[in-house]
Amino acid sequence: MSADQSQTPAGGPLIPLHCLQQAEPGPPRLAVLPTGTPVWLVTRHADVRQALTDPRLNRASLYAPDAPAVSLIPNILDDPDSLLNVDGAEHQRVRRTVQRAFTPRAIARWRPWVESVVDGLLDELVESGSPADVIAGFSRPLPVAVISRLLGLDGLDLRRLGHWSDHALSTTAYTVEEIVTAMREFGEFGYQLVLERRKNPGDDLVSSLLAAADETGGVSEAQLTSLVCGLVVAGHETTMTTLGNALVYLLGDDPAARTAWDRVGRDEESAAQATEQVLRSIPLGDATDALPGMLRRAVAEVEIGGVTIPAGSVVAADTGAANHDPEIYPDLGGIDLFAPLDTPSLTFGAGPHHCLGAWLARMELESGLHHLARRLPALRLAEPVGAIEWRTGLMTRSPLTLRVAW
Amino acid sequence: MSAAGPDLELVVRVDQTRCVGTGHCAASAPDDLALGPNGRAYPTHPTSTARDQLSEAADLCPVEAITVHLARTGEQIAPLD
Repeated sequence: MSADQSQTPAGGPLIPLHCLQQAEPGPPRLAVLPTGTPVWLVTRHADVRQALTDPRLNRASLYAPDAPAVSLIPNILDDPDSLLNVDGAEHQRVRRTVQRAFTPRAIARWRPWVESVVDGLLDELVESGSPADVIAGFSRPLPVAVISRLLGLDGLDLRRLGHWSDHALSTTAYTVEEIVTAMREFGEFGYQLVLERRKNPGDDLVSSLLAAADETGGVSEAQLTSLVCGLVVAGHETTMTTLGNALVYLLGDDPAARTAWDRVGRDEESAAQATEQVLRSIPLGDATDALPGMLRRAVAEVEIGGVTIPAGSVVAADTGAANHDPEIYPDLGGIDLFAPLDTPSLTFGAGPHHCLGAWLARMELESGLHHLARRLPALRLAEPVGAIEWRTGLMTRSPLTLRVAW
Repeated sequence: MSAAGPDLELVVRVDQTRCVGTGHCAASAPDDLALGPNGRAYPTHPTSTARDQLSEAADLCPVEAITVHLARTGEQIAPLD
């Protein structure tokens, strides 16, 4: 499908995510998934938005008995019990068990506590001294601490979460057998957690989603287990990835980055603006076909961007390309982190499956970047960008470690 | 109009820039909210008395694009917290 842009022509070091070029948007066109299945690649902002909101395109039909193969290897996004793979009234029922906890108002109530976690991590980082690994010291523990508290996972060995998460999002990092084993263990963990919280409810999100599900009915045990596991992975992986990749840019040599770092630390409004632009302009990973969550299937013939797409077709909504659509976001040459976004980006998707955790992610990123920049205005990369060790073989890519100094 | 009395007439507003087209509102309040062809929600009637349904739609909108007001005074009644 889209070319893997991640390596220089000589096969040298991997390019930082903020340097990746996105496909030029155009009318929907036919491409091929790695499975050999034809796919309509949609890239313009308006077309991607339509692909994600039009009721004639959905997720569940991707897993119908007559559906063509879309995944080479099993991954967490193929789970038929996943919130992502049901539509309509059934999807509403499952999503409503947790939606109230993720509205902007509900997430805002967490801000003081999240900021205390940020401060605590910064205290430890400063105490450990320069140079340090900002991934281990900040960008990984922050989202992990937040989701652990939200779900009431304190006391769990957090390395197990990382282990399951890496297997859940693996493309080439692990074998099929390893992935299947890890997903089974992860599912067991989720199931045991559901049983335990039903027996001894607390004030955590798992307990509240179980109570909501019991009240409305129509949500299966498998769907609840899948939801809990989904919250664990989604609740930390993508935030950690975005934060790490943002720091690769912000702490680099580019004078615009130095100015931006300064401003991000100065006031929260600037940090919020920069966060929106980071979310829009820095992709989560390398190639489009590594994000299976962006696939949909047409249940009826549908016209998108002047092209008639037949019923039964698989469609890929390339949010990365849409986020760089020059018709919507004129390319002013270089990254301007403080340009206002007149049109919201499609990073969190659109339509019924719009990212549940969008506001939580935004808050962690804003707060994390603001306080890190405020506390350590002189923070900078302490290794050349070409020497960065990346997490590879996963759907996302971000630094495994990132040596910084101040 | 409605025999329910002026204080029960409600107006629902959708911020179409903020709306991401989840359609959750139309599921909560099917008589009063729908997703249009532009993929954004819109009120299907100028006023309504379906307070519970509209309040739920506003409370659960994933991006807080919906507000519900008393038609007479404009006072916002949802979301509140």
